Amino acid sequence: MEVRGWLLTSPYLLYSLVFFLIPLGWSLWLVFTNWNLISPRIDFIGLENFVKAFKSARVHAAFLSAYRIMGFFLPMVLVQSLAVALLINSLPWGRAFFSVGFFMPYLASGVAVALVVRGILAYNSPAAPIFKALFGTIPNWFGHPVLAVFIISLLIAWKFSGYYALIFLAGLQSIPKELYEAAELDGARFFTKLFRITLPMLYPAFYTVLIMAVGLCFAIFTEPFMLTGGGPGRATHTWYLEIYYQVFQNLRAGYGAAISFINAAITFTSVLIVRRLMQRWGRALGYE
Amino acid sequence: MRKFVLLLAGLFALSVAVYAVEVVFWTAPNPTQEAFWRSMAEAYMAEHPDVKITVQAIVEGPQGSEGTILAAIAGGNAPTASENIFTGFGAQLVEAGAVVPLNELPGWDELIVARRMTNAIKGWVFGDGNYYIFPIYANAMLFAWRLDILKELGFGEPPATYEGILAVGKKLKEMYPDKFLWARTALVQPTWWQRWFDFFMLYNAASDGNPFLSGGKLVADDEAVITVFKFLQELNAAELLLTQPAENPFQTGLSIWTNFGPWGIPWMKENFPELKFGENLVFAPPPVPASFGYVKPHKTFADAKGIVIYAPHASGASQEQINAIWEFVKWVFGSVENDVAWFKQTNLLPLREDLTTNPAFAAVFAETPELIPYAEELPYAVPPLKTPKVQDIQTALSEYGMIPALLGQKTPEQAWEDAKREILLLLEE
Repeated sequence: MEVRGWLLTSPYLLYSLVFFLIPLGWSLWLVFTNWNLISPRIDFIGLENFVKAFKSARVHAAFLSAYRIMGFFLPMVLVQSLAVALLINSLPWGRAFFSVGFFMPYLASGVAVALVVRGILAYNSPAAPIFKALFGTIPNWFGHPVLAVFIISLLIAWKFSGYYALIFLAGLQSIPKELYEAAELDGARFFTKLFRITLPMLYPAFYTVLIMAVGLCFAIFTEPFMLTGGGPGRATHTWYLEIYYQVFQNLRAGYGAAISFINAAITFTSVLIVRRLMQRWGRALGYE
Repeated sequence: MRKFVLLLAGLFALSVAVYAVEVVFWTAPNPTQEAFWRSMAEAYMAEHPDVKITVQAIVEGPQGSEGTILAAIAGGNAPTASENIFTGFGAQLVEAGAVVPLNELPGWDELIVARRMTNAIKGWVFGDGNYYIFPIYANAMLFAWRLDILKELGFGEPPATYEGILAVGKKLKEMYPDKFLWARTALVQPTWWQRWFDFFMLYNAASDGNPFLSGGKLVADDEAVITVFKFLQELNAAELLLTQPAENPFQTGLSIWTNFGPWGIPWMKENFPELKFGENLVFAPPPVPASFGYVKPHKTFADAKGIVIYAPHASGASQEQINAIWEFVKWVFGSVENDVAWFKQTNLLPLREDLTTNPAFAAVFAETPELIPYAEELPYAVPPLKTPKVQDIQTALSEYGMIPALLGQKTPEQAWEDAKREILLLLEE
C-alpha cells in the first residue's frame, strides 16, 4: 500500500525535485558566486552579491515599483473580480459559460495582450479621438510615471479578475440563502446585504485572493517588458525585470540569484503582513 | 566486375559519410540569412563531401538570440560557430573564454585581404590584440526624411545641422500643429540597445567619430555629448518629439524624420509602396551642430555583426571541427560572388571596402537604389562599444543622462555629469 502511495505521488515529487528543489539548491549556491552563466570557472565571493544588491538603485526602484503597482492593482482587481463574481452569481442561467468567458484573459498570452493594448493606446489609434474628446488631449500613457503604473496595473487586473472571480464565486455560492431571506424579512436592502452578509461571509475568499494578489505584485514581468521597458525613469522597473536584466543581459547569474532571494524574502514578508492584517479582520468577523 | 566497382563506390561513399566531420552553424533568426547559409552549406558540401554542415536558425527566445546562445553555452552544447554576434556580446563571450581567436587560425590574413577589409577590420580587434569576430556586415544607420512634407514646408532637402532641424520643426508646428518631427517611444525608455539608434547616431556625428570608450576607459567627447543632450531637450521642449507609441508614424506622415536601417527597406516597400525613394522619401546622415563646422560626410552608428567560433568547452567541438568550420567560413567569404549573393538576399551591407566600387555589386544597387546612401555612409559608420559592460554603460547613459536631459529634468551638463559618474563607477568594477 505504501509503495502504491509513493508511486502515485512520484510524478509530482519528481516534478518538484527537477523543477523546484534542484534549481532552488543551485540558486542558493549561486548567490555566493560570481558565475557569469557561461564560464566554466565559478568563484566564491561570500556575501558580496547581497551587499551590492542592497546598495543598487535599480533594486531600490524594483522594491518601490512593486508597492506602487500594488497600490493600483489591489483595489482594481478586488473590485473587478468581486463585481464579476456578483454578476455571474446573479445570473439565472449560463453561469458556467460566463465564468469560463471571464477566465479567458488569464489564459491569454501576456505578450499578445500587451501588443493589443499598445495598439489601442497608440497616439494614432482609432481610440485616440475618444481619449482626446474625453481628456482634451491624448494622454502620454507610457511616458508619465503614474499613468504607466496605472495602465500596467489595469492590464494585470483585467487578466486576473476572471480567475479571482471564480474564487469569489465559490465563496458566494457557499453562503446560505437563509441568511439573505432572514435579512430581507428584516427589511435589509442590497447594500446592507452586501456589507453585512456577503462581504463578511466572503472572508475566506478575500483571504486567498489577497494573498495571491500581493504575491503577484512581486512577480510582474511581461507587461512592463513589452510596454515600458521599466520606464519612464524606473517607474515600472519590477523585480523580475531586474533579475532578467542582470542574468540574461549582463550574465550575472550569481548576482541575479541574490536578487531573486531578496525578492523572495520581501514577497514572503509582505504576504505575512497582509496575512496578519487579514487574520485581524477575520477575528473581528468571528473567524478563528 | 561492374558489381565490384559499384560495391567499391558504395563502400567509398559510406566511408566518407562515416568519417565526415560534422559541424553545426547557427544563423540569425531571419529567413533571408538562413536561406543564404543553407545554400552556402549545400554548395560547400557538394565540393567537400568530407564535411557535413548542419545549418540551423537560432531559436529566438524572449531574451533574443543572445539568450539562446548563452543557454546553449551554459549547457555545453553551443554550435561549432554562429553568426549574429555584435561586438558587445562578443566581448562578453571573450571575457568568458567561450570563443576562439580567429586570427590564430590558418589563412586569417589572406581572407582579410581577399575580402577587401584590411582597414575595416581594425575596429574589431579586442583588448588582447586578437580578433574573435569575423564581421559579415555593417549597416550604417541613417535618418529617413519625408521629402514630400519637407517640400511642403519650403525645404528642398533634409537639413544637415541641428539649427536647420529646429527651423524645420518650427515651420512644421506652424503648418501642422498635430504632426511631430520624430516619433520614437524608445527615446524615453532605458532599454540599453535603443541608444544605438538615437544617441550613438547623433554622438558619432557630433564628435566626428571620437570613441566613447577606448581601452576600457571613458574617452567620450564631453562637448559632443552635452550638445546632443541639449539638442534632444530642445526638440522635446518644442513638442517636436512624440514619445508615445504610434502605429507607423513616419510612414503615415504623423512624423517626418526617423532613424532607419537598411533592413527596413523591403518591409517599407511592401507595406507602403506609395513611399518612393527620391520622390517622397530620402535618407540622410545624422545632423551636427552648425558651429562644429564639420564638412560632410557626418559619422554615424554602424549596426555590425559577424561570426564567432565557439571554444571546445562551450561547444564540445574538436580542433578538427573548428578547422572544418573555419575552412567553410573562408570558402564563403573568400569569394566576392558569395558576398553579392548575401547582399542580394539579405540587403545587409557586406563589410567590404570595395562595396561601392566593385562592379560585382552594381546589379544589387541598380535593383535597390535605396541601399546606395547606406553603402556610401559605410566608411563613416562607427561599430558598437566593445566592452562586456555595454548593457550597463548604455543603461546608465539612458537613466542618468539622456532621458532626464530630454525630459528637461536635468540640465544637459548635469545629466552628462551624472551619467559619466555612473559609467566611471561601472568601469572601475
